Amino acid sequence: MEDLHARYADRAVRSVFIYTHEAHPGENYRHHTSMGDKRANAQAFVDHSNIKREMFLDDLDGTAHRTYGGLPNMTWIVGRGGFIHYKSAWTNSADVEDALNNVLDFQENRIKNQWIPFYSERSAWSTRPMDRFQEGLVRAGPQAVSDYQGMIERNKAKRAAPSEDVAPRVPGNFYKTEEEDSGK
Amino acid sequence: MSATDYNYDVFTGGQEEFLDFATHAPKATMRAPSFPVEELATGETVDMKNLWKTGVTVIEFGSFT
Repeated sequence: MEDLHARYADRAVRSVFIYTHEAHPGENYRHHTSMGDKRANAQAFVDHSNIKREMFLDDLDGTAHRTYGGLPNMTWIVGRGGFIHYKSAWTNSADVEDALNNVLDFQENRIKNQWIPFYSERSAWSTRPMDRFQEGLVRAGPQAVSDYQGMIERNKAKRAAPSEDVAPRVPGNFYKTEEEDSGK
Repeated sequence: MSATDYNYDVFTGGQEEFLDFATHAPKATMRAPSFPVEELATGETVDMKNLWKTGVTVIEFGSFT
């Protein structure tokens, strides 16, 4: 996403990051009990990940985050006047770039081509960089590793989808097989 | 939801927020809600609507962990 920010800045695209609660709190980066905690963790994130995008903090209650759905790593694209062009449950830079190009095309050519926007939904894809994810849990602390492992164990049955399944049971997927839908 | 509930100290993982994202969160083609947010670099509070005042804005939500 940092690369995307750099490549589209000269096309009048603003890229920002809104800091939420800690998704996987641990001994090293604990849950927030004050805005001071939130600022400290956000600054650590900026320093560690060399974030160049503008960084904003939601309030301690997560008012903005919860209104936008409360997911740990969503991305939204908003146009002039606040028109929502894109919302995604997870952040995948390739999918965001595809949507962004579509938005810029619309902004630049809508009058000439008399385009009107309409509502649409689609599924998107993402790789699962588990090594990096695990590194993040370890960085947060042993508790973060343990908590995540506990969730995996609890959800094992749900996640054990057969290989031919079109939609593995990952968070955010709503797909159910015919058998599941009928309660068998 | 209280600030304590929102800032949980133990991750348990849940599906509820994904349902909220699909059913209760704003949808594409709606007008984006605006709330005050604090700029980390300056400490200034700005309304989110100022973020998209001049053009297209990509907004990523997340945290270090």
